[in-house]
Amino acid sequence: MICVRDLSKRFGPTLAVDRISFEIGRGEIVGFLGPNGAGKTTTIRVLTGFHPATSGSASIDGHDVATASLAARRRIGYLPENVPIYPDLRVVEYLRYRAALKGVPARSRRAAVAQAMARAGIEEVARKLCGHVSRGYRQRVGLADALVANPPILILDEPTSGLDPNQRRRIKQVVRELAQEHTVLFSSHILTEVEDVSSRIIVIHRGRLRADGPARELVARSAARRLRVRAACDLARLTELVRGIAGLTVDRGSAAPPDAAVVEASVAAAAEPAAEVGRRLLAAGIAVHELQVALPTLEEYFHAVTEGSDRAEEHQLAAAAEGAA
Amino acid sequence: MNGALVTLRKELLSYCTSPVSWIIGVVFYLWRGYEMSLVAEQFAYFRGDQDLFPPSTYGLGSTFLMVMLVPGILTMRCFAEERRTGSIETLMTAPVRDGEIVFGKWAAAAAFFALLWLPSVLVLQLLELPPFLDADLAFGPVFAAYLGMFLLSGMLLAFGCFASSLTDNVLLAAVLAMLFNFALMRLPQQLAAQLGPDASYYARELLDKLDVMRNFTEWFARGLVDTSQIAFYVGGVLFFLFLTTVSLASRRVA
Repeated sequence: MICVRDLSKRFGPTLAVDRISFEIGRGEIVGFLGPNGAGKTTTIRVLTGFHPATSGSASIDGHDVATASLAARRRIGYLPENVPIYPDLRVVEYLRYRAALKGVPARSRRAAVAQAMARAGIEEVARKLCGHVSRGYRQRVGLADALVANPPILILDEPTSGLDPNQRRRIKQVVRELAQEHTVLFSSHILTEVEDVSSRIIVIHRGRLRADGPARELVARSAARRLRVRAACDLARLTELVRGIAGLTVDRGSAAPPDAAVVEASVAAAAEPAAEVGRRLLAAGIAVHELQVALPTLEEYFHAVTEGSDRAEEHQLAAAAEGAA
Repeated sequence: MNGALVTLRKELLSYCTSPVSWIIGVVFYLWRGYEMSLVAEQFAYFRGDQDLFPPSTYGLGSTFLMVMLVPGILTMRCFAEERRTGSIETLMTAPVRDGEIVFGKWAAAAAFFALLWLPSVLVLQLLELPPFLDADLAFGPVFAAYLGMFLLSGMLLAFGCFASSLTDNVLLAAVLAMLFNFALMRLPQQLAAQLGPDASYYARELLDKLDVMRNFTEWFARGLVDTSQIAFYVGGVLFFLFLTTVSLASRRVA
């Protein structure tokens, strides 16, 4: 339904999005993650036809957003980050106007607006002026606007930003319900929310794609995992056995009286060293009290693929600079 | 054209509920009413000159206000306000062509402008009645003058839309439009006066067409409606609406 190929967007000297590619299939509900300024909103604006791409392409349900923009836009319901609504219109008038603008036929417009309001839970403010509704309701009016023409694809840019926990919960519930009939791409930097709602996450940082896949799988294969082993031997022996296993970096160790030691190590991305650790300890005839690989939380994973990758890049650059010197 | 009609309806509703529109209406009617009473008194005092009456009904300060100042005020919010509040994003990501949005906004401004003038035509009709002037006034030239003024205003409103698409500052958009209106009313006359006897025919013709004040006094106010004048103003409307559409599209690129 959404296909992005080598998409880049430059604003003057700033490269906001740097050759990202991903696909989102029918019925998927995808969380679009990244720190502030990562390029999420820019990518979304290219998808919705608000900005053209500098290079690369994006298509919505087979319609290129640059060459068949109108057809692509017909298939999208879009909720921008800051919902801009006309303060002098009543909520119901605003939604009727938006439904008409999106080509909802006059005979079914009233029903479409009523249904969108019911789904977003804003019936009680239908007669209020848009300028007088609270931020939470404003966000939901924006959501009702995205839903009113019943498009197959929903793109929601930070739908819960600035909302209180109850309002967030309500929006999450709505997004979950929408996934039954729509393809949903929603951006956020609130990780628990993404974990709760989405079947897959895409992480973008500094304009580049950092990760793409189901959250659990990404976390299970991530570089932020930690291995902990407690065995009946002294610390030096245990460290010696563990060190040298591919994909494992010993971080720290300590004696665990009366007769054991504990070693903790970082596990490299995609590495599965636990079996090898167990095999070596058994071969050495050492009793294993504990051997576990702890998965990071999504928050730790997010930190690792964003700021962690920054540090790795900085080290590489520093090493390259030293080499050149 | 669905997008244009929807935009027209929504914008017209906004004009009707905007305090600025009501203030313009009230100021215009008060001023216009006062001036019309002066014109009517003079007409009665001098026992009515049918040839002088039509020009005197539109050659008033209130007309100057309406043509020079009001188009810029009416159109200043068209795109500048959408940009300022960010609603331009939802507007331009809706499945509607930019040209339809531009035309709808201009048409709403033009329709509201026409609505503002409508009561002043009724005032003229009232003046014919026995309690007032009890005279058979020549309405042909008056209506021709109204037509000319609407054509000119349509062009100025189209420029106003263009000015509004250039900035997110509504005040700047209004000032830009007013400056343009003022220049259009003054500059062609001044430039034509500067032309020497050996100036090209085309330069003279162009300045002649652009001299909107003379178009009124010598054509529309005398009841003369020339198709070339109509074509000039309609062309002006289309030109500025086109520029507005291009301006929006270029902002989309930015």
